[in-house]
Amino acid sequence: MRTFDYERPDMLADALALMADADGAARPLAGGTDLIIRIRDGSIRPRTVVDVKGIAEFSRDIRIEDGWLRIGARTTMTDLLRDERIRRDYAALAEAAAYVGSVQIRNRATLAGNICNASPAADTAPALLALEARVVAVGQRGRRVIPLDDFFVRSGVTTLAPGELVEAIEMPVRSGRRGSVHARRTRRRGHDLASVTLAVTIDEDGVTRVSYGSVGPRPVLAIDDTGLLADPAAADDAVRGRLDELFAAAAPSPTSMRASPEYRLAMLRVMGLRAVQDARKRIAS
Amino acid sequence: MTTRIELTVNGRGRSVDVEPHHTLLEMLRDDLALTGTKECCLVGECGACTVIVDGESVDSCLMLGVEADGAAITTVEGLASGDRLDPLQEAFLETGAAQCGFCIPGQLVSARALLDDVPHPTRTQIEEGLAGNLCRCAGYEQIMEAVELAAARHGAADPAPHPRAVTTDVASTPDAKVAPQ
Amino acid sequence: MSDVVGTRAPRVGGLDRVTGRQAYVADIPLDDVLHVKLVTLPVARARIGAIDDAAACAVPGVQLVMSARDLPSPMPRFGPQRRDRPVIATGETKYHGDPVAAVAAETKDAAEEAAALVKVAYEELPPAFTLETALATDAPLVQDPSLRPDDPHANTNVLHEHRHVWGDIEAAEREPGLVVVEGSYQFPMVTQFAIEPHAFMAAPDGDGIAIWSAIQHPNWLQRVMAELLKLPLSKVRVHAPDPGGAFGGKQHAKYEPLLAFMALATGRPVRLVLTLEETFQAVRRGAAQVHVRTGFHPDGALVFRDVEANYQIGAYADIADRTVAKGSYTSMGPYVCPSARIVARSVLSHTVPSTAFRGFGNPQQIWAVESNMNEAARVLGIDPLELRLKNLAKPGDAFIPGDTPADGDWAVAVRRAAEMIDWGSPTQPGRGRGIAVGLKSGPTTGLSYSTVRLLVDGSVVVYAGTSDMGQGARTIFAQIAADELGTPLEWVTVVSGDTAVVPYDQQTSASRSSVFMGNAVLRACRDIQAKVRAMAADLEGIDEAGITVERGQVRIDERTIPIADVVKRGLGRLGGEIIGIGEMRKDAEPDHPLGGTAAFYEFNCTAVEVEVDRETGDISIPKYVTVSDVGKALNPNQVRGQDEGAAVMGLGHTLMEHYIWDDAGRIRNLGAIDYRIPTSMDLPADMDSDIVENEDGPGPYGAKGMSEGALLPVSPAVAAAVTDATGAVIRDLPMSPERVWQALQELDSAEPAS
Repeated sequence: MRTFDYERPDMLADALALMADADGAARPLAGGTDLIIRIRDGSIRPRTVVDVKGIAEFSRDIRIEDGWLRIGARTTMTDLLRDERIRRDYAALAEAAAYVGSVQIRNRATLAGNICNASPAADTAPALLALEARVVAVGQRGRRVIPLDDFFVRSGVTTLAPGELVEAIEMPVRSGRRGSVHARRTRRRGHDLASVTLAVTIDEDGVTRVSYGSVGPRPVLAIDDTGLLADPAAADDAVRGRLDELFAAAAPSPTSMRASPEYRLAMLRVMGLRAVQDARKRIAS
Repeated sequence: MTTRIELTVNGRGRSVDVEPHHTLLEMLRDDLALTGTKECCLVGECGACTVIVDGESVDSCLMLGVEADGAAITTVEGLASGDRLDPLQEAFLETGAAQCGFCIPGQLVSARALLDDVPHPTRTQIEEGLAGNLCRCAGYEQIMEAVELAAARHGAADPAPHPRAVTTDVASTPDAKVAPQ
Repeated sequence: MSDVVGTRAPRVGGLDRVTGRQAYVADIPLDDVLHVKLVTLPVARARIGAIDDAAACAVPGVQLVMSARDLPSPMPRFGPQRRDRPVIATGETKYHGDPVAAVAAETKDAAEEAAALVKVAYEELPPAFTLETALATDAPLVQDPSLRPDDPHANTNVLHEHRHVWGDIEAAEREPGLVVVEGSYQFPMVTQFAIEPHAFMAAPDGDGIAIWSAIQHPNWLQRVMAELLKLPLSKVRVHAPDPGGAFGGKQHAKYEPLLAFMALATGRPVRLVLTLEETFQAVRRGAAQVHVRTGFHPDGALVFRDVEANYQIGAYADIADRTVAKGSYTSMGPYVCPSARIVARSVLSHTVPSTAFRGFGNPQQIWAVESNMNEAARVLGIDPLELRLKNLAKPGDAFIPGDTPADGDWAVAVRRAAEMIDWGSPTQPGRGRGIAVGLKSGPTTGLSYSTVRLLVDGSVVVYAGTSDMGQGARTIFAQIAADELGTPLEWVTVVSGDTAVVPYDQQTSASRSSVFMGNAVLRACRDIQAKVRAMAADLEGIDEAGITVERGQVRIDERTIPIADVVKRGLGRLGGEIIGIGEMRKDAEPDHPLGGTAAFYEFNCTAVEVEVDRETGDISIPKYVTVSDVGKALNPNQVRGQDEGAAVMGLGHTLMEHYIWDDAGRIRNLGAIDYRIPTSMDLPADMDSDIVENEDGPGPYGAKGMSEGALLPVSPAVAAAVTDATGAVIRDLPMSPERVWQALQELDSAEPAS
């Protein structure tokens, strides 16, 4: 690995100053499970690595504030899995987090890091989108809130401004019932990068959110407010038809070595129907 | 430009001058001469480099040495106390889990972390807990049996689930879901 | 004292493995060592131009940048069958990953930095990296024809063509009423992926050289190095620490020659540890395309079999052609087949040199032949189990003319596997079963020596040059010595891995060591027994005829004396020890196509039950059984570990492993993220292994070799189960979910709507 300067600021202001001063040559380090690989393979060559894990204002907890479940920047996948509220009320996110790599990876990988890395195959992205997540970003000019659907641009690119960091990820606390499901397609049962990711949430009011990833440059959120997908009496063919409409933005890469576009699209449809059926069961139980 | 860090490794305070771009794995092997932890894929896939950092198993190839400042690390060399082997080490010997042995330090450390977290894991929990440790020699069976054996020997079974248990009882198909509990 | 052979004796070296003390090559410190980093080009094939190392040499700590110009001219070449491989690429790089230069520096960082700064001018050349392109009439030649002047194939990429013919296939084909089943099958390119990446060290050693390598054949490497460096064997010392997995990929020299030249050039020890990616570019299995055409009587009896196999080997021959030779010679399988024609070719290509890999050329043809058998069973309307039993060779059958007759009651293993999987019972919906057998001929020649020293206190040192790469070789030798000399197992030390100290062993491969080295150890112990017998006769003043020595006891008339007591008395005040020498040798038979008959056969039967998710193509395996015919399990626990490990490794190439290439002949999936091997979550839900022990092998206590057998029939068994479950016939591996899905799609569209 090429060398770099390593900084571990303990105050947010210092971290932001380091990021700003580096003029693009600094990279934040959280869990390291993406960054270290990319520095080693040379695809990223930072002059400075800013370790965010020492920042006092960056929390590793999960708490409810003003109707939002707020997940701190340092929260790892394992932390998510251990949280009863996540498992119970945001099941799709718990399921997605459970599939990120192995135990060793989950103990380090942060949710914030996963979305900032912005891989189209990021496991947590469809779940977060379907769960209406938003990003709290902070820079030298202050804080702002970015709906997650406005956060992803394409592989490796987000709408974070230069020098901005993710302080927290928030999802609304909903009062009604919700069934949420995450699904993924891989080449083996053991940990693997997904060739399709999918999350479905169905709410009491019949609104269904379907989010899918790894079938295009960024994860896509589509909403069905016709109530059809939520309706347990709806015929499978009708559900498939509606899902096909929601999947219209899927554009899998023709050059990927993980799966062909034809297979990805076919699996998206298979997984879609199964996920809708499972989400219906969950909201009913 | 090195940074001096202080950390505890296998219960012993150590002081290391480490290059920022050197991983924890390189620091353990090259600076501290703890060669029990192995180098293999270097991308966090194989688990040969697994160590415990502040109670959690991690791939040391994806952690910088400097990040370990102030941390407590356990490597395979720290599992035994003096000449008393860890029950996992005993169990691995009994079931013959180690063939070529190269993956074994990582398997042991992962298993140690698993049992510290879930003292009586199900077979599924063991498979998931060790899924990040590749073995090319074994069918994994004897490794799994060793973990079960060590767990069975650890006192009586807990009547209630461990409070920090990670309840991912994931079914074994790729698009299966976690059953929330 | 009870015997330890045949028991689950604890693994010698087990304690070191569980404490992290086991020293693999990369763990061994050498003072003053220089770190080496290889320089390769980002293309499949190139003409090498000027090499500018100025910037590299300017990196502080760099001591040497070596390339072809720094080596003797003509370039020294090596290779186990043909000396075609240059110490470093010269004139042309022939595959993606073929090193063109190497840097030696004081630190790993400096070596890495400098290697990235070596500027190599090159001209990309068109590569032949598939069988199709390599066999085309205008194919770019991988090897200079001048390297094999007397070879009729010299102007092609065919390195060698093997032909085995027996019976009268032309007549057989014309028999009326035959059922002929044929098909073409593909076996993928896969890599060993041992968890220990290859590591090498070399250092000047007095007026000779010392090499460290996790080499399976230390004496062979010693010979190669001595020849290359023009040194006597006695001045080449090979240290061979236990490999962290080898599977054939550490049998033959790779970068040891390069390191030796670098050590001699710098006068210092040098060290190279490959990255995992670099190991994928160093070793692999031969891929193959196999066409099988088999004729049966309607009752299922085999009449003829016609096999044509093209193996895609790499840019340098390594031992690849030998794998083709052995894989093709037994491609009829363990059956009585009156007429046969086998044509198999090793085809050079601009790809990673293929080498030995567990199964040694057999899995590729067994994939085809056993799949063909299962397809035939469907066509014939005969149970695939019955089809096997009907045609299986019986003990003593000369099923391959001119070779060792069938040396096992193989039907026992087949019936056992069928019983364990409950063959014939109804399966749940969505499930199917498959069965297959695998046969491999063991070593055809061989030589192993062992020395055993019985020390004055009764403890024992065994010298056995076998490479203990996980199969537990040292353990079984210790068990043999313990039982033969009546020594507790914990009092036996086994020394291996040092050509300066350990007597000659030809190699560790072909599952040979239980038999060859096991017998050598056994005979060394018998040699000691003979010497003790003479000693006792001398002490007692009686004739040797009245004395027997066996299993640690000396019997004189009614008396039984422990061997250690006799030895202590006999050695007297000077002390000393008793040294025994043992040997097992199987000489070459020059007229035999393989150079010798099989010392034994490995036989395995595998049966599988699968469940297929028709919508996604996912295969899950609720039940898996594997039964090997082993003669005698010297250590049943180690046998189980090897058989189950082989099964899982076989599931790898069956379900998920393959190299992925781009259009320019470069490997796309280097490394662990996109080259998938089975994890603990990819196992059959229920895996069961068993063994048949008829004590009918040539090794100690009737043992045969094992550890490759259980890998051989994995893929045809799984494929047959998938066909049984879904009707889809798959002939290309791996059977990834996508490929299974693809096959199911094609099946659905081919079938008329019902």
